[in-house]
Amino acid sequence: MTKEIDCRGLACPAPVLQTKDAIEKEHPNVIKVVVDNEASKENVSRFMGSQGLEVSIKQEGSNFHVIGKMGEGTAAEEPVHEKPETGQKKIMVMVANNRMGHGDDELGEKLMLSFLKTLKEMGDELWRLVFVNNGVKLTIEGSDVLPVIQELEEEGIHILVCGTCLTHFDLLNQKQVGETTNMLDIVTAMQLADKVINI
Amino acid sequence: MPPGDLDRALCGIEFPTDSNVLVGLDRADDAGVYKVTDDIAMIQTVDFFTPVVDDPYWFGQIAAANALSDVYAMGGVPKTAMNLVAFPIKEMDIAILRQIIQGGLDKMTEAGVVLVGGHSVEDKELKYGLSVTGFIHPDRILTKKDLKAGDRIILTKSLGTGIVNTAVKGGLASADVIQRVTRLMATLNRDAAHIMGHYPVHACTDITGFGLLGHLAEMISDMPFGIRLMSQEIPIIPEAVDYAGMGLVPAGAYKNREFRECMVDFAPSVDRIVQDILFDPQTSGGLLIGVQKDKAGELVAELQEKGIQEAAIIGEVMAEPEERIVVH
Repeated sequence: MTKEIDCRGLACPAPVLQTKDAIEKEHPNVIKVVVDNEASKENVSRFMGSQGLEVSIKQEGSNFHVIGKMGEGTAAEEPVHEKPETGQKKIMVMVANNRMGHGDDELGEKLMLSFLKTLKEMGDELWRLVFVNNGVKLTIEGSDVLPVIQELEEEGIHILVCGTCLTHFDLLNQKQVGETTNMLDIVTAMQLADKVINI
Repeated sequence: MPPGDLDRALCGIEFPTDSNVLVGLDRADDAGVYKVTDDIAMIQTVDFFTPVVDDPYWFGQIAAANALSDVYAMGGVPKTAMNLVAFPIKEMDIAILRQIIQGGLDKMTEAGVVLVGGHSVEDKELKYGLSVTGFIHPDRILTKKDLKAGDRIILTKSLGTGIVNTAVKGGLASADVIQRVTRLMATLNRDAAHIMGHYPVHACTDITGFGLLGHLAEMISDMPFGIRLMSQEIPIIPEAVDYAGMGLVPAGAYKNREFRECMVDFAPSVDRIVQDILFDPQTSGGLLIGVQKDKAGELVAELQEKGIQEAAIIGEVMAEPEERIVVH
């Protein structure tokens, strides 16, 4: 399904908002947004990128066609696995750093290892583990905590790793655990969770 | 108006001058300065805009803080002001206008400024602002253009209000961010200006529509020095980074970049999102102060101690390369 939106003549942030609406409501496989200025071109392509879409831009006369494709790991193709137990709390843990706390880096790394090892003590309430920003460095080959995260994944914990962040650090090919995800999945997960813990 | 367009409009027009004009159009500074006697010079400025927040009372405060800021950036003390009002009287409740004017008035009272008049017109689009008059000793005027090599550059408010305001327009900003940024924009630059008056400050301006890099570019144009910025030291509203990553960057930021990027060198480590924040047009932004190197640490410490906690040394004036801003 291809969705096309004409955003010519609209000022920021309207083109981004229309793109957001269309992606959220219609989940198109391909979305094409027509804009007539540089700022909108940049903003719409950046928004699509932040949602994990593969973005290409074509110029036609004075207009730009910003085209986003749902790639691997984006919302449309990968249904979200829910932990089905009803009446049970769902805890989402968001890890935004490769160390725990600020101060001594070496100590921070040890604490993170210990934290992830101990996390399973939450039992069945532990629902999702999300890695963003520097946190994605924990999921790549060579990471000390990789075996611990892999163990959690085997136990059925849903592991999500931010695709934008992996791309930013050029680590996309080195990720060894979890599903590559996008901001829409993360925001949806936050909404579904009973509790979100930020580390 | 975008910087390039204004230059094109004014290009070729000859403006008469007067020997008592100490700072006039030819220097395009924050405000005009006219010498009244050998001890007293008058500072004049005017600024108004369309609402940046939904709450009319806070919009009034922000518009007033923004208009007063130009006097503070010249090193002066504002004394009197006139309201400028454009209001869609047929479509909008007059109570809204009352709240805007109350907000502006409260900010003027806080600044020790007295409202002496004003002018209003009917307009489809709501606008509010002030014309402000202030005073200064003719020898103590601070312009944009008197930086010296070695000076440290200090910024007194966080950047990113343009991006946050774009997110607000899109309904994507949280109530907490809206409140924090509203207060930031409504904060007077008075205390920062008062404190810097006790230090060897060579140049000063305030950050508004041209963004940090646009205003820095003005400070070094046609001057025999450049500026090195340390992007990690620049105070930034944390949420602005998230919103910019989602494409909520105002068109003005791209226009500022287009106009000034020929003067700026970014190190490869400076993220594109940070670059956009450095070009982001600010509403009622902070002061940009160029102070003698050996006093910069002391000035920042005093600013922070007296409640301007975001104040930071963000860069320095370099003899080379001339007329360039290098961002690390």
